[in-house]
Amino acid sequence: MSHHYVSFDNVRYRYPSGSEALKGVSFLITHGEKVGLVGSNGAGKSTLILHVNGLLYPTSGTVNIGDVPVEKSTLSIIRQKVGVVFQNADDQLFMPTVEEDVAFGPINMGLPMSEVKRRVEDSLVAVGAEHLRKSTTYRLSGGQKRSVAIATVLAMGPEVLVLDEPSSNLDPHARRLLIRQMEGFSHTCIVASHDLDMIWELCPRTIVMKNGVVAADGPTKLLLNDIPLMESCGLEQPNLAKIEMLMKC
Amino acid sequence: MSKLEKAYNELDKMELVSSENSSVHALDPRSKILVTSVYLCLMLSLPLVRLSELLLFFVFPILTAAMAGIPYGFLFKRSLVVLPFALLIGVFNPIFDRETLFYVGSVPVSKGWVTFSSILVRGLLSVQGALLLILTSGFYNVCKGMEQMKVPALFTNQLLFVYRYVFVLIQESIRLSWARDSRSFGKKGHGVKVWSMMIGQLLIRTFERANRIHLSMKSRGFQGSLRMLGHFEWHRSDSLFLFCWCTFFLVIRIFPVSESLLASFRWF
Amino acid sequence: MHMSDALVSSPVAAVMGVVSVSLLVLSLHKIKKANNENVVPLMGVMGAFVFAAQMLNFTIPGTGSSGHIVGGILLSAMLGPWAAYVTLASVLVIQALFFADGGLLALGCNLFNMGVLSCLVAYPLAYRPLAGEGGSSFRLSLAAVLACLLGLEMGAFMVTAETEMSGVTALPFGSFLLFMMPIHVLIGIMEGVATAAVLVFMRRYKPDLLDSCKPVSGQHKVSKKVLLVIAGVALLFGGVFSWYASSDPDGLEWSIAKIVKDGEVSSEPEMVKNMADRIQRNTAFLPDYGFAVGENGGLTEEEMEATSSSLSDSKTGTSVAGITGGVIVLLLVYLIGLLFRNRMRDKSV
Repeated sequence: MSHHYVSFDNVRYRYPSGSEALKGVSFLITHGEKVGLVGSNGAGKSTLILHVNGLLYPTSGTVNIGDVPVEKSTLSIIRQKVGVVFQNADDQLFMPTVEEDVAFGPINMGLPMSEVKRRVEDSLVAVGAEHLRKSTTYRLSGGQKRSVAIATVLAMGPEVLVLDEPSSNLDPHARRLLIRQMEGFSHTCIVASHDLDMIWELCPRTIVMKNGVVAADGPTKLLLNDIPLMESCGLEQPNLAKIEMLMKC
Repeated sequence: MSKLEKAYNELDKMELVSSENSSVHALDPRSKILVTSVYLCLMLSLPLVRLSELLLFFVFPILTAAMAGIPYGFLFKRSLVVLPFALLIGVFNPIFDRETLFYVGSVPVSKGWVTFSSILVRGLLSVQGALLLILTSGFYNVCKGMEQMKVPALFTNQLLFVYRYVFVLIQESIRLSWARDSRSFGKKGHGVKVWSMMIGQLLIRTFERANRIHLSMKSRGFQGSLRMLGHFEWHRSDSLFLFCWCTFFLVIRIFPVSESLLASFRWF
Repeated sequence: MHMSDALVSSPVAAVMGVVSVSLLVLSLHKIKKANNENVVPLMGVMGAFVFAAQMLNFTIPGTGSSGHIVGGILLSAMLGPWAAYVTLASVLVIQALFFADGGLLALGCNLFNMGVLSCLVAYPLAYRPLAGEGGSSFRLSLAAVLACLLGLEMGAFMVTAETEMSGVTALPFGSFLLFMMPIHVLIGIMEGVATAAVLVFMRRYKPDLLDSCKPVSGQHKVSKKVLLVIAGVALLFGGVFSWYASSDPDGLEWSIAKIVKDGEVSSEPEMVKNMADRIQRNTAFLPDYGFAVGENGGLTEEEMEATSSSLSDSKTGTSVAGITGGVIVLLLVYLIGLLFRNRMRDKSV
């Protein structure tokens, strides 16, 4: 299924307040790739993510998911194809119980109830949260909230998964669990994060953003080891990279 | 502990109690909503001087709490919050209404005191009824039940939304007031000016949060209406619960039950 | 300011409930028609905001005590009156259920006193015209203070009226009002100043969020419609309450008869006295619950007279007995309840 690519072609976006967040972004992500999206605060990562799901439209340029352009008329298809897990799980989990929340997307897709229930079941199992099914959302721990937030998106059966800062505010154990889960996903994944160690482990490819443009795009091990590039983009070499380097010596 | 923290703990505790299992918890929330409404209407329509029948209404909270495995003290303690305002208004009755209604031994009891006691008892009873509904159903089920009883979905969703984010916003407010308290010494810094900036901050963050939630709703296909998973089914036990309590309430509302009860005590 | 179930009678609760709920349905309809899907999460989170904000206190200068706000005008200024009323209503429902603020039956009264009067009356009639479109900070503040004051005074008046109509208090209407109104002038000014402070803050930092600064079309049409609604409500009030006052024997009759009966207030206006006399005469012929029930404390005027003139032993005896009987039964039930609960616990273990 090679047509599940994500392509940005010279995408520009200007906020109504006048600031230009994206200044001509182009890349192509092919099926099943796991791509890290890194960059300092305000580099344009979040704005970019909103474009993948049609929550914002480019001021100029085009975004394509597979052979479908992201436009008003294609929104329902796009939102089924692309699932976004937002940074703040509290904002993503707005329904009273875990079950209701995971069912929210499938119900909106107009699926029959039996299918909705099956999807709720499957996606909770996929993130190891089936025991939380009847729980009240606010009682979950940070890690559980994150897992459930991912399940809410998986339940829609997306081909492309976009995760914004998935490891933020997680304790080391929960973070490890999350990374293991994500390793198991066969989806095309875009992971935006400041957690460069996670990107190092998880994503073979990385896109580095700087001031609304792509500063570098290539193999993770190469880019994140490029100390001048990292520093010029407000980032630093991940610890794992340093350790690997030391081990080689 | 600040008011906010107390409220948070209180909500948390009630949520825990409401998620327990018992025969009352298992009932259809619609049945419990109906029983609670009948209870409230008949209890509050009882004239104030009929204190003895009013007292009999306590049977409902006591028995239902027992059946639900909730300590009655838990309920009673929480219902006491209603007293101050009722006291404030009721206290005038003994002053203005000094007509003697009956004697206890040789002490005359005025009608004012009887109606005063009735006001307090009504307050306690009504609050206990409402609390019991929440504690045995949980807010989520009450709202879902209401929706099935044709309350507009827009409103039940609103209730659920508020309830969901009360927890988040109380925590955010606690953090804000910690930040205020840790930098204001004694009572300085608690004036309207600082307060308004704090509230303004909270308000702006609330709007931003609403936008983020809206984004995440849209990205999951939200098109203006929320729909819930599944619905409740009415069982025979629900009808039984409804029928038994309504009959009981009607009987004590209409007949002078406590008189006859006492008469039978004497008879023994 | 919350009306409590303890103070309200079923008819008053029912009338207020009908009024408040119809306005709620109307508001929901308005919101639906506006078809702004962002409003669902916004109203939800704003409800939680009001809930939390009501618990954040500030010190009232010179008194050492602290105050908080109800938030009707603030909400209206942010969301517009309809959404504000729905939001406030949802908060009041949750407070009634979880924190015993007010009660379920008194909810109608509370929705009206705190929601309708501030969002649907004080806001369109006082705040909007005074604040104008994007007016100065001073105008905004003035409008906020006056609107809050108006809203709270009307609310206080309604609390008094509802309590008196319910006939639970022996406190005469006039004294009750004299007690409520001045206190609520202070509370209203406090709420107004606090609301103004937040609005001025918002105007400076996020003016786009203020409903009153948006060029809203049809806003003034809305206020006209609101006027119509209020007129309708007033008519309903007049109609239902006058019917209620003349037909219910244990409400108004009780309190009016009280005033007339007391020796000290024999100088009450003739009209009240005549009215009370009339009601008294009516009840003497009507077999109301007091007659039907007979001897258990549900006393009519006639019986009260009887008790006060000659306290017959049998009557007083049964009333004490009635209450004792009730208490005994309760204790029994409580014990049964305890046993029951223990058994349940054993089972679950």
